[in-house]
Amino acid sequence: MECEKSYKGIAGSDGIGIGRAALITEPKISYEQSSALTAEDETKRFDAAVEALIEKTNAMAEDMRKSVGEKEAEILMGHSLMLSDPAMTDEVRGIIAQGLTSEAAAEQVFETFAAMFEATGDELTMQRAADLRDVKTGIIKTLQGIEDVDIASLPKGSVIVVSDLTPSMTAGINKDNIEGIVTEMGGRTSHSAILARALEIPAVLSVEGVTAKIKSGVRLIVDGIRGEVIEDPTAEQQAEYAEQKADYAKRKKELEKLIGEPTVTADGDRVELVCNIGKPDDCAAVIEKDGEGVGLFRTEFLYMDSKQKPDEAEQFEAYKKAAMTLKNKPVIIRTLDVGGDKDIPYLGLEKEENPFMGFRAVRYCLKNEELYRDQLRALLRASAFGNIKIMIPLVTCVEEVRGVKAVIKDLMSELDREGTAYDKDIEVGVMVETPAAAAIADLLAEEADFFSIGTNDLTGYTMCADRGNANVAYLYSAFQPAVLRSIKRIIECGNKKGIPVGMCGEAAADPRLIPLLISFGLSEYSVSPTAVLATRAEIRKWTKAEADKVAEKVMKCAAESDVLAVLDENKK
Amino acid sequence: MVSKKVTVTNPEGLHMRPAGEFTKAMAPFASSVNIKFGGKDFNGKSIMNVLAAGIKCGSEIEIECDGADEQAALDKAIEIVSTAE
Repeated sequence: MECEKSYKGIAGSDGIGIGRAALITEPKISYEQSSALTAEDETKRFDAAVEALIEKTNAMAEDMRKSVGEKEAEILMGHSLMLSDPAMTDEVRGIIAQGLTSEAAAEQVFETFAAMFEATGDELTMQRAADLRDVKTGIIKTLQGIEDVDIASLPKGSVIVVSDLTPSMTAGINKDNIEGIVTEMGGRTSHSAILARALEIPAVLSVEGVTAKIKSGVRLIVDGIRGEVIEDPTAEQQAEYAEQKADYAKRKKELEKLIGEPTVTADGDRVELVCNIGKPDDCAAVIEKDGEGVGLFRTEFLYMDSKQKPDEAEQFEAYKKAAMTLKNKPVIIRTLDVGGDKDIPYLGLEKEENPFMGFRAVRYCLKNEELYRDQLRALLRASAFGNIKIMIPLVTCVEEVRGVKAVIKDLMSELDREGTAYDKDIEVGVMVETPAAAAIADLLAEEADFFSIGTNDLTGYTMCADRGNANVAYLYSAFQPAVLRSIKRIIECGNKKGIPVGMCGEAAADPRLIPLLISFGLSEYSVSPTAVLATRAEIRKWTKAEADKVAEKVMKCAAESDVLAVLDENKK
Repeated sequence: MVSKKVTVTNPEGLHMRPAGEFTKAMAPFASSVNIKFGGKDFNGKSIMNVLAAGIKCGSEIEIECDGADEQAALDKAIEIVSTAE
């Protein structure tokens, strides 16, 4: 039967799984509201259930500690703490005293707390509401004598299809038997995702209505890399994915060997390999993937995720968190890059004829100094807690760099007067992403403590091509000789002045470009956390002499197609 | 009653793990432990209360302890929330 269907979801845990669906459905639970027992007996019933569940949860945590790890076991230990929470038991007893059953009382109390968690607006706290509900279901099932679904006994080659994978369910997983996990709920930071990654089981999450669509026993492919589930795949698809699965496993093993290894060329020359992030929480992924710091922290999220201008205190908290999480590793924070395609409603930016050439980024910030001062003050204060550097976006002339540095100098004297701590030697760098900045890179190098090449905008502005416009997208390529010459010039100007030059656009993670960047003398590569190990592997393949040879050939090419052909011929 | 204002420096704030550590450490004390945050009161011996407060790294909270061993309880509480790991 050839009738494959595919479902899109969130890629929750990398890898490819091929197996048969095991649909897990929770039994319907029903119970009486008013208790037939005396309050005293009902309380005893509740206490006994809680005690039994604590014992079971602790045992599961112990299993989890041995089979998965300390961090994952802590989730279950947290459940155990919730069960022994004196405030919770007091409230439940109070409701039982009014004549309700233990089930009804637990439902009320846990739902009240879950609503409180959800009202905080804090993502981490909101996710804990799922734990509360897991614990609540556990209590009610224990009270009713309902057994857990036995995931431990699923046969080899099973793909779990479930509405939500709860921590108490995951505790029973035998990872050798489970090929993949498909859920209707959860995002990349949910427990399901964290546990699936820890167990190294491919997972696709948030697939709408999947438990109603997929039947037990049907063949499934779980593509945890692209976030896709294929139902009843064709023979060709199965063969293709089986090959991908083998490749993935092999490559992963090889890349993992590079965790903790230095990022050096084949000659042993060290370069820095850091990450691009958008939120302080992303720092966890930087550490997990062995990134050596942050080369681009976009600050727009602080402005976009809120309905009003974030104040200095809120920004300070976010920057400080990133700096502290990464200990003394460098964290380059880019100041607000508003405008262009990034609108922030409450800032009241006027609609412009040509926003990409208009009032955006540093241009806007220098004209709206009050807003900019809040951000720069927050950055300076946070610099006392780690290794923060400030980066100015969309620079086109030296006046802009001098302007920002003047504001920073003024804020420093303000902080000195207040006696507030900050890093007096904080570095201020330029994001080189306009043809103007590339042309005056030698002049900018006199003003800046570092450069970081933003290849996305540099490519677009240099080629005058919007990659979103299908008619001209073919021109948008970092391999165009015009862009390569720009990159080379920027790096050379920085090196001549002795300041570090990094690259934080998507091109830094393109393996084809790496020999050129090594040859030009790039000192810092900033890529997404998931690209760290692959980029490290690529850098380690090349000696400077080999890279120089390729670069020499490439820089003689007149057409982009010739550049790509030379790089393809010489790839490692 | 004794009380003190303190800035939470644990990078995780008072989320699951640190909240668990905090409530576990507070349980043996006879004194009551109250956390004032965002104009509300939260029972410092209840993990669900502490989590519901949603306290992030860098937040300023006030801890109040009341009872026979209030000073010891307060000292311990301050030690936990202001230890950065």
